[in-house]
Amino acid sequence: METAHAHATDHHAHVHGHEEHHHEETFLTKYVFSQDHKMISKQFLITGIFWGIVGGLLSVLFRLQLGWPNETFPFLETFLGKWAEGGKISQEFYYALVTMHGTILVFFVLTGGLSGTFANLLIPYQVGSRDMASPFMNMLSYWFFLGASVVMFFSFFIQTGPASGGWTAYPPINGLRDTAINLGSGLGFDLWILGMTLFIVSALLGGLNYIATVLNMRTKGMNMFRLPLTIWALMFTAVIGVLSFPALLAGCVLLEFDRLLDTSFYLNNIVINGNLLGYKGGSPVLFQHLFWFLGHPEVYIIILPAMGLVSEVLATQSRKPIFGYKAMIFSILAILVLSFIVWAHHMFVTGLNPNLGAIFTLFTLLIAIPSAIKVFNWIGTVWKGKVRLSTPALFAIGFVSMFITGGLTGIILGNSAIDIQLHDTMFVVAHFHIVMGVSAFFGMFAGVYHWFPRLYGKYMNETLGQIHFYITLVGAYAIFFPMHFMTGLPRRYYSYANFETFNNFNFLAEFISIAAIIVFFGQLLFVINFFYSIFKGRKVEAETTVDGYGYANPWGTTTMEWTAPIDRLHGNWPGDIPSVHRWPYDYSVNGREFIPQTEPLKPGEVPHE
Amino acid sequence: MIAFLTFATVVLLFAVLVLIARAGELTADLKNGKVDYTSQSKWNGYFLLAFLIIMFVGSAMSFKILMPVMVPKAASEHGVQTDFLFNITMIIIGIVFVFTQIALFWFAYRYNESHGHESYFYPHNNTLEVVWTVIPAIVLTVLIAMGMYEWMHIFNPDARDKNMMVIEATGKQFNWMLRYPGKDGKFGERIIDKEHVSPTNELGINWEDAKSHDDFMSDKLYLVKNKPVLMKLGAQDVLHSFFLPHFRVKMDFVPGLPTEFYFQPTMTTVEMQEYLSHEPWWQTINPETGQPRWQTFKYELACAELCGKSHWGMQRDVIVVEQKEYDEWLAKQTPMYAPAVADIAPADTSAKKEEPKKTAMLEKGK
Repeated sequence: METAHAHATDHHAHVHGHEEHHHEETFLTKYVFSQDHKMISKQFLITGIFWGIVGGLLSVLFRLQLGWPNETFPFLETFLGKWAEGGKISQEFYYALVTMHGTILVFFVLTGGLSGTFANLLIPYQVGSRDMASPFMNMLSYWFFLGASVVMFFSFFIQTGPASGGWTAYPPINGLRDTAINLGSGLGFDLWILGMTLFIVSALLGGLNYIATVLNMRTKGMNMFRLPLTIWALMFTAVIGVLSFPALLAGCVLLEFDRLLDTSFYLNNIVINGNLLGYKGGSPVLFQHLFWFLGHPEVYIIILPAMGLVSEVLATQSRKPIFGYKAMIFSILAILVLSFIVWAHHMFVTGLNPNLGAIFTLFTLLIAIPSAIKVFNWIGTVWKGKVRLSTPALFAIGFVSMFITGGLTGIILGNSAIDIQLHDTMFVVAHFHIVMGVSAFFGMFAGVYHWFPRLYGKYMNETLGQIHFYITLVGAYAIFFPMHFMTGLPRRYYSYANFETFNNFNFLAEFISIAAIIVFFGQLLFVINFFYSIFKGRKVEAETTVDGYGYANPWGTTTMEWTAPIDRLHGNWPGDIPSVHRWPYDYSVNGREFIPQTEPLKPGEVPHE
Repeated sequence: MIAFLTFATVVLLFAVLVLIARAGELTADLKNGKVDYTSQSKWNGYFLLAFLIIMFVGSAMSFKILMPVMVPKAASEHGVQTDFLFNITMIIIGIVFVFTQIALFWFAYRYNESHGHESYFYPHNNTLEVVWTVIPAIVLTVLIAMGMYEWMHIFNPDARDKNMMVIEATGKQFNWMLRYPGKDGKFGERIIDKEHVSPTNELGINWEDAKSHDDFMSDKLYLVKNKPVLMKLGAQDVLHSFFLPHFRVKMDFVPGLPTEFYFQPTMTTVEMQEYLSHEPWWQTINPETGQPRWQTFKYELACAELCGKSHWGMQRDVIVVEQKEYDEWLAKQTPMYAPAVADIAPADTSAKKEEPKKTAMLEKGK
């Protein structure tokens, strides 16, 4: 702790000197090649919003096909050309849409956009540090992310279209570089691999930085059990990412070897139209192991930051300490450990050894226990609080509701015997969209509405925010709740018309499509609100002014982010970094509404821990 | 024109919403820049309660409207067991769903700041934590035990009936090849090398193996009621998955890695139709066929692993019959040996010079 303090002081002196001598920043260093964690956070967020719109739009397009399989939409041909001849989305493009929808939302929005935004914004502010451990690596992290984004986006505009063999990238369909087998498995999939490689580099650069910052750059007095839950969640997320993303990278590199150099890591005895190809001895299942070794921890990479944000927002907006602070930390830790030993529950029916299936059932269902603890603690936090039902609080409550609904169906899917029937059906689609897609979005929205004043010094509009909340809450349930009843319907079907068994749900598919389109347009309210508020939003008024810097604490929060001035300074605090004296959840205690972490204990006061 | 009008309406709607929202902000400015959260909390409290009710009504309606439309009851022995497990789990999570959602939304309503009360500093309670750790742990242990028992039962090779049927299914883009072992009950050997695999002998069947001489291909999957069947599964080109929704059977086809699934059908197609003819929803007329739905009911085979652009089209009929009917059907099948070797010189063991018309035979039903 002594060392950390000395370091912080030293760093502070340096930054102070720095500011006095080179205060001038060019447009390029301030907005583009910025090494400031707050600017990088904004860059991640805005890139994430861009991808959110693209990913959502793709889902609207394939919902048009699923909802109205017999109709044509001439305007689609105007926009999409050969991909929608006669106004009907082609089979090839349909599969490209679902593939890229998954890739974009899982990686570019809910990993890059979510962790990238909030780890960058909150870690330095809430641990009391002037910036990340390595601001330069942090900048590189964003630029690799942008590079990955450019490559992925570019793949939409090539002759054979983007990857279309599923976001899971399974070989052999993606392992054979043959557009006759699958149109998107040509150049489109090469670009997918290149894009993902850049993305993984970005995630690793960012993740290492987040861990280093939390462990080494805490301000004086900020011991680990005084960290807000946001920081615990973001740090554990980074740990999961650093340990699991390399497995995907290795998997993808071997896959590209199979494609370009005719190796046989994943291919064996492939017969195309009666012609035996020369691949020998590989196993497609090996790739699935490598993919899901990241793929499953990935869902926790998505949901843990959302859990952290929601814990913080719920405590602050309920004016009440988070219930069971340490239970919350240990349950995230349990989730972290278990998340690495459940991956094969995605592979129950791949011909896996049945004994393995049984073990993975055990670990998978165990994960329900820490998840249940977290849910009960969130509900306990709201109980007897004084809840300010502002937009961030509403989204946090929506998150808990969604997480319960989606989490519970996981208990069904995690049980291998039941999963035989449900695997790769619409039930799975409903489950994971609610538990990690919609939930993570709710957590992200709670975070954006709550910390927008910290990012931009302005508020987002409450009225628009609340309309956005109700459209999203009702709409998301309308889309995904009834989808559970399509239990026997295989997912990734262009049409169910060939099947007597599956053809009964057309009315439901239409209902879901209408809801999905409304929800998509509802999200544009958020986009409008976001950009409008950046320029025209209500300003955060200074409550106190010290040395010419205005200070405010808009939500009355105990954590450190609002001990810095409203203006976002490079280095965050104009003077010394405040030191920390207490845990982060002193709400409604000792006759006070809240006591900031930086306030020293009164004589005789016993600290919480 | 309609597209333009819709677009214009949406834009106008957005504009109106933004103006209303802006008005709210200007009002706040008049009140010293503070948003009136007390009144907002009051209204949002009511809205959340209303949502809770809407959610429960919507869930109930989903059950009422959609349950009858779902894939009907399991027609296989293990399927009945896994459905039972599904229903038990569904009841447990249903109860948890109702109570936690009520608690969440009720507390959000009851303890929002418009009630003018003070917040209660209550940071932890270890007894409560232990209670809500142990109870889920016990329930999950039971579910895990039941699930593992059933799972190991389904995949236990020692528990298989010696008199089971064996059928081979091979998936390829975008079709199924269903091979029956014929009267001798044994499959001819398959050799996967360049000698044997050819466009006319995609499976690489070794025609020199006498066991192959009565093997035949079928365009429909015929099964016998109460007779266990072992499906031997394999893929030619990419991953596919063998999915029989009515029998709760699913197993991937993996190129170069044989898989299998053992199960026992318990209802013939006719019996299932008879059963469904008593169900109100299945009595309704299907507008496409003009007949009651139960009459056109059939078991089906589907692909459940993304395999390319026509993944969604890989359909085959599955027919479950009594043993007698099956024997009659079996007697009518023509082995693929005779036509396959007809054009090969007797000395020529390789099958690569066959004529394309055999392909048509192998792919009948497409």
